[in-house]
Amino acid sequence: MEERDPDLNSASRTDNGRIKLNVGGKLFETTAHTLRSGGPDSLLAALSDRTAEDGEPIFIDRDPEIFSVLLSLLRSYRLPSTARRFSKQDLVEEAQYYGIEARLRSAMAPPPLVGFDAALAATIRPASDGFPTALSAGSGDGSVWIAHGGQISTYDWSLAHAGTVRTHLDQITSLRRVWPEIAGIGSLDSPGLHFYDVSSSRHVGSAHWSDPSDPRVYKARVTAIAAAAGAESSGEPVFAALECPHRENCILAVDRTTLKIVAEIGRQSGGAAKAAAAGKLVHVRERGVVFAAAVSAGAFGYSGYMRLWDPRSGEAVWETSEPGGGGRSTRFGDAFADADADVDPEGQRAPAIYKVCWKTGDVGVADMRMLGEDPWVYLEERSPGLRNAGGGRNSVLHCYKGQVFVSREGGLEVWSRIEDEEEEDEDAGISGTSYRRNFVDREEDARRGLVKRMEGGGDRLFVSREGMEGIEVWESSDLSGAISLL
Amino acid sequence: MPPFSGRLPSSAGLNPKRPEPSIVTLNVGGQLFQTTPQTLSLAGPKSLLSSLPCSSSSPSEIPFIDRDPQLFSLLLSLLRTGRLPSSSAAFDLDDLLAEARFYGLDADLLLSPLSDPSLFDPFALRRSLALPLPGRDPPSALSAAPSGSLLVAHGSKITAFDPALRRRATVLTRFPAVDSLLALSPSLAAAGATDFPGLHLLDLARAGSVAHALHWSPLPATATTSSSSSAAGATVQAIGASPDLLFGSFESCRRNASAILAFDRNTFEPVAEIGRREIYGAELDSAIPATKLSWIHGFNLLMAAGSHGGPSGLLGNIRLWDVRSGEAVWDLKESADCFADITVSDSLSSLFKVGVNSGEVFMADMRKLSAEEPWVCLGDARKAATGRKEGSGCRIESHGRQVFCSRGGEVEMWTEVLMGPSTRSREDGLNGERIMRRNMMGRAKDGGAKKITLLGFGGSRMVVARKDEQCVEVWESSAWS
Repeated sequence: MEERDPDLNSASRTDNGRIKLNVGGKLFETTAHTLRSGGPDSLLAALSDRTAEDGEPIFIDRDPEIFSVLLSLLRSYRLPSTARRFSKQDLVEEAQYYGIEARLRSAMAPPPLVGFDAALAATIRPASDGFPTALSAGSGDGSVWIAHGGQISTYDWSLAHAGTVRTHLDQITSLRRVWPEIAGIGSLDSPGLHFYDVSSSRHVGSAHWSDPSDPRVYKARVTAIAAAAGAESSGEPVFAALECPHRENCILAVDRTTLKIVAEIGRQSGGAAKAAAAGKLVHVRERGVVFAAAVSAGAFGYSGYMRLWDPRSGEAVWETSEPGGGGRSTRFGDAFADADADVDPEGQRAPAIYKVCWKTGDVGVADMRMLGEDPWVYLEERSPGLRNAGGGRNSVLHCYKGQVFVSREGGLEVWSRIEDEEEEDEDAGISGTSYRRNFVDREEDARRGLVKRMEGGGDRLFVSREGMEGIEVWESSDLSGAISLL
Repeated sequence: MPPFSGRLPSSAGLNPKRPEPSIVTLNVGGQLFQTTPQTLSLAGPKSLLSSLPCSSSSPSEIPFIDRDPQLFSLLLSLLRTGRLPSSSAAFDLDDLLAEARFYGLDADLLLSPLSDPSLFDPFALRRSLALPLPGRDPPSALSAAPSGSLLVAHGSKITAFDPALRRRATVLTRFPAVDSLLALSPSLAAAGATDFPGLHLLDLARAGSVAHALHWSPLPATATTSSSSSAAGATVQAIGASPDLLFGSFESCRRNASAILAFDRNTFEPVAEIGRREIYGAELDSAIPATKLSWIHGFNLLMAAGSHGGPSGLLGNIRLWDVRSGEAVWDLKESADCFADITVSDSLSSLFKVGVNSGEVFMADMRKLSAEEPWVCLGDARKAATGRKEGSGCRIESHGRQVFCSRGGEVEMWTEVLMGPSTRSREDGLNGERIMRRNMMGRAKDGGAKKITLLGFGGSRMVVARKDEQCVEVWESSAWS
C-alpha cells in the first residue's frame, strides 16, 4: 500500500504556502509543501522558497504535460497512468531537471520480488558481444552489471544503459561489485584479479597471487569473487579464489580500500576434485565465514565439495565433499550439481546452504547454525504430479530473499518457505515440508535455452541462458495483463 | 393567459420558497470547480469533500486542494451522475482509486458499477477477456463473489482479482493443490484440499497468512480449531456458506468417516456437526463425503451431494439438510444415471444435475421432491441407457434464472420459458409442465476451445477455466456491442 499523503490537512489550509506555476504556458497551482517533498536540493524546492508577492506565477520553460505527471507523483507518491505516454527516458530526464529523480525511482521500482508471482519483464541486450559471461546485480536498487567478452556494461535502476567499459581482459568470467562504481573482475584466460572504475572507465588496481617461497605460484587466474553487498564501508575484504596453471589454488582476501592482498586462506593442491579451486564464493558476513563450493561434472556424474572458511583463522570450519563425503549420507552417490548460500543482511532468516542433487534433482538445505556430518534436509514435493520433475543435471541454484530459484533443463522453479502451522521453536531447524515448489516461468520460456547464471538484485531476478544474447529480467507485477478476446 | 407569454418568475422550476441552493466552489490544483453540497455529500460522511465549507463570495476563501484537477473532474462526474464519464478511459482505474482514497470516497462507488449483479444479462454474455495466471499450474478451483471480485486457485497458489479484474495478489497456501475455494469477504478466502488436512481461512491482504485453521477429528466427536494436531486431521472435500455459517465437508484421513461441519462466520467456532457418517463393514457408499455444498436460501436448507466411483459405476447421494435440527429432510440415492455435477437454483426452486451416463440435464422441482422419481429429464432421457459416460466432466451451475452446463468446450444455457395459463395448449405439446429450453452460448468463433474444467458466476460475469490453459476466461454482459 502506498503511503498516505501526509499533506491531507493542507487542503483546508488558507492560501499561505500556495504557489502558482506557469510551466510552458500552462498554469498549475500547488503548495510549497508538495514542491519541497521532492527533496531539499531539488529545483522545485528552491522555487518554493521564492515568495511571489505580486501573485504572478513562476514561469518554467519546460513541457507542461510531463510536469503534470511529475506533479501528480509529488502529490500522491505514485505515477499516474498518463505517464505511459512518455518514455522512461523522458520521465527520468525531466525528473533529473527538476531534481526529483529519487521520487521517480521509488515510484517506478517493481513490487517486492515474489518468485511464484514473477514474470519476464524485459530483456537487456548489450549492443555488441551480447553473450553474457558474468553478471553482478549487486546493490539493492535493481541495477545490473553485465560482463560480455571483454566489456562490462552497466545498467541503472531503470535498466537504462549507463555505460560500457572495455577492459584489458578478453573474456571476463567473474564479476562483482566492490564499490558502487568499482568492479572486481577476473578471467579464466588471463591472470590476476583486476579492479575497474566503471564511471571513468579506468583500471584502478589489481591483485596477483604470489609466493616468494614457491616459484610455481604465478599467473594464477580468478575462478570466483565474493563481495558482501552493502559492506563497502564496513572494511570487509573482497574474497577471490585463484588457481595456478598447475592447479594449486587458494582464496585471497583483498582490502576494498587499498586493493591490496591482506590474507591468503585455504591453499589447496588442486590435485583432486575435493581440492579444486572454488567456482562459487559467498561471504556470509553474519556468520563470519566464506562459503566456497566447487563442482566438476565427469563421465560418472558430478563431484565436488563445499567448505566454510573462517577468514580470520584461515581454517575450514565445516566441509563436505560428494560423493562419499559424509559417511552416513542418506543419498550416497547423488552429489550436488550446484549449491548456494542464503544470506540475509538483515539477519531475519537463519543462514542456510542449499544444494540441488544431480541424479534426483532434489533440493537439500542445511542450516548453517547446525552443520554436522549429514546436515541435509531434503525439500519435499507435495503434489504428486510434480514429483520426479527431472534430474539436476546442468541445474543452477540461486538463493535470493529467502527464496530458492532452481533451473532445470531451461525451466525455472522457485521454492518458497511457508510459515509453520504450529509456532515451533525458533531453533527447531528447517523442515522439509515447509517449502512449496512453483514454476516461475511457462513452458515456452524454458525453450529459450539452458539457464547458465541467475542473480537477484533489488526486486529483480536476472537470468542468462546458454546461446542467448542478453539477460532476462524477471519481476513481480501487479498488472493483471488481461487479454481481450473480443 | 397562454403559457410562457408573460414574464417568467426568476426562479422558474424551483420552489420559490426554498432558499437558493448554495454552491460550493473548489480550487483543485489551480482549476475552479463549482458544485452543490448535495453532490459532495454523496461522497459519504467520512469524505474530505463533505466537510468542505460552503462558499462565500470572497475568492480568497475558496478551499484549495492540492491534487490533480483532471482526476478530480472525473470523480465529480461520478458523484453527479453515478457513473464515470467516457473520458475516464484515458486513466487507469488505479489512478482513480488512489484519488478516491485521498478524498475518502468509498471505493465501491467506483467499483460496483463495473460488475453490478443487477446488470447480469445471460443473453448478452460474451467471451471478452482472458486473465493470465503466473506459473504453470492450471486453475483448480475458482470462486467469484457477487461484488465481481474473483479468486482463482492454481496449484498451491491463489490469485485474487478485484471487481475491475485487476490482479490484486497471488498468495501461497500450505496446500499442495487447492481443491475447494470460497471467497468469504474481499480479504478472506476459505480454502481446502483433498490431500492436506484442515480448512484454512486465508487473509489475502496479509500475503495469504492463515487467519484460522479449522480441523475435524472423527475420534472424539468434537471439532476444534487449530489446537488439535493436524497430523491426523481430516481433509476438506467441499466448502459452502450461508449468510451466517460456513460449511465444510470433511473426510477423515483414513477415509472411513465424514461429516459436514458448520462454523460461525464471524468467530469461526464450530456450531454444529451434521451428517456424520462412518463406514462399518462393506457399506461403502454410506460414508461418501459431500463434494458439493450449496446453501438454498429460499428453503433454509443445505444441499450436500457426493459421489463415488464403484464397480457398478458411479454411485452418489444427495441430501437436503436442515442445519438447525441436523436432520436430512430429503435423501436421494443415485445409482442409475448418477449426477456428474449438480446445482441448486433458488429462483427456479429446483435442483439440476447432469447425468454421468446420459450427459443430459435433469431437473427436480424442490416443491415436488416427495415424488417417486424427482428427476425430469430436460433432454433425451433414452440416452441414459447407453452406459456411455457422456456427462463425465460436465459442469453445471445456476445463476439468476438460468442454468449453465458445460459440455466439452461449450456452455449451454437453460432458460425457463414462462407461459401464461391461456397460452398453454395441448396442440403445442406443452402440457402443464415447466418448460426449459436450451441454447449454446457464444459466437461461432468461440467454438472449438479446450474442455471446460471450471465454471463460476459473480457480479455480472461468467468465469470459465479450460483444461491446460494457464488463464481464466471472463464472459461479460454488456448492453453496448
